[in-house]
Amino acid sequence: MVVVMKERASDTEVEAVIASLVEMGMDVHRSTGASRIVLGVVGGGKVDPRLIELMAGVHEVLRITQPYKLASRTFKPDDTIITIGDLRIGGDEVIVIAGPCSAESEEQVHATAAAVKRAGAKVLRGGAFKPRSSPYSFQGMGEAGLQLLRAGANAHDLKLVTEVMDASQIEVIGRYADIYQVGARNMQNFTLLRELGRTRKPILLKRGIAATMEEWLLSAEYILAGGNTDVILCERGIRTFETFTRNTLDLSAIPIIKELSHLPIFVDPSHGMGRRDKVAPMARAAVAAGADGLIIEVHNDPDHAMSDGAQSMFPSQFDRLMAELRIIAPAIGRSICLEPVARRGWAR
Amino acid sequence: MAAQLNLDALRDEIDKIDEVIVRLLDSRARCAFSVGRLKHQLGRPIYEPAREAAVIAHVRQVNERLGGPLDGDAVARLYERIMDEARRIQRLEAERDAREQKEGKE
Repeated sequence: MVVVMKERASDTEVEAVIASLVEMGMDVHRSTGASRIVLGVVGGGKVDPRLIELMAGVHEVLRITQPYKLASRTFKPDDTIITIGDLRIGGDEVIVIAGPCSAESEEQVHATAAAVKRAGAKVLRGGAFKPRSSPYSFQGMGEAGLQLLRAGANAHDLKLVTEVMDASQIEVIGRYADIYQVGARNMQNFTLLRELGRTRKPILLKRGIAATMEEWLLSAEYILAGGNTDVILCERGIRTFETFTRNTLDLSAIPIIKELSHLPIFVDPSHGMGRRDKVAPMARAAVAAGADGLIIEVHNDPDHAMSDGAQSMFPSQFDRLMAELRIIAPAIGRSICLEPVARRGWAR
Repeated sequence: MAAQLNLDALRDEIDKIDEVIVRLLDSRARCAFSVGRLKHQLGRPIYEPAREAAVIAHVRQVNERLGGPLDGDAVARLYERIMDEARRIQRLEAERDAREQKEGKE
């Protein structure tokens, strides 16, 4: 920690700050500059920076260590690679997760799974328990939805990710899904995070709607601290004053998280934008910025979707996006969907 | 060639001076350690700002008489470092004492 004193701080003020830091068991390195005094503070004592900031003569207190440990790059310099069967998340290959917002019917799940698989997606997404802003919106199919999603994923050799909203759902979802998703609204549901830390399945942790990077990494820390080391962070847009888009997709999170943490970072341009016509440009930008993967809403018939139809892509749009990403990824030394994909003309 | 020889000679000189400085720092640290023990016995705090200010004023005065390239501020900055370390020595000793006392009681 570094304590910067005010330009006109008196000797007594400086001495009082040093005295309280020494009393807290810290070593203080006093540096007297031309106009200011800076105190370098190191040691094993416990100091609340806010208490020091409140002392007379203190200009600001800068923390130099992060409050999260296991999630930090300092703790683990090498990138975390998460393996699910033959799937590697966080390696050179950019992994695309795609599928409908919610499971609605067998036909819908199968048609969408077939479409995203053909385009090069590796993981199927889909909700069975839906956290909706309104209690009157469609709430999801529950376990029946999980069964449909698992069958759809199996039929097309895809892994499955689905959202867990509550600790009581961990067991049932664990029977069907390969990855648990924690939604933006639950990012700081610490009891849920703690329970997920006890599981041994990867967790896709979405960034809260108004969460800072530090709060987000601290949420990941809850899962890691429980012994589950497979956490994927997912940027999905944050609340800003802009009303044109549903959220403001914060792509700056990609390089920042890459610096602060070893965990893989995904981007969800569908929720970030809220409009299907704006999803592809942001998906391309995310891959170019170094995202380890994308999660995209695709629906076989978005106009009749029971939730999030406006932000779900048509299969033909998704197909084209994947073709574009296959050109972008190699420019930054990444690959995307290695195996050849059968091409075909889409109906729409 | 002559410049190279001069450079080598001056560097040798610096190495010898450093040996003396480290010996002196060692003697100073031993004193500071004893001071720490006495402060502990007398129940006085490790950090005594008035004493630190007096040390700096003293070395500034000594330095001024020498009239070399180091100005008073530079000497003060160097002494801030030296006293940082002295405080650290006293803190470590005080912590060791406290630990031993606690263990002794149990």
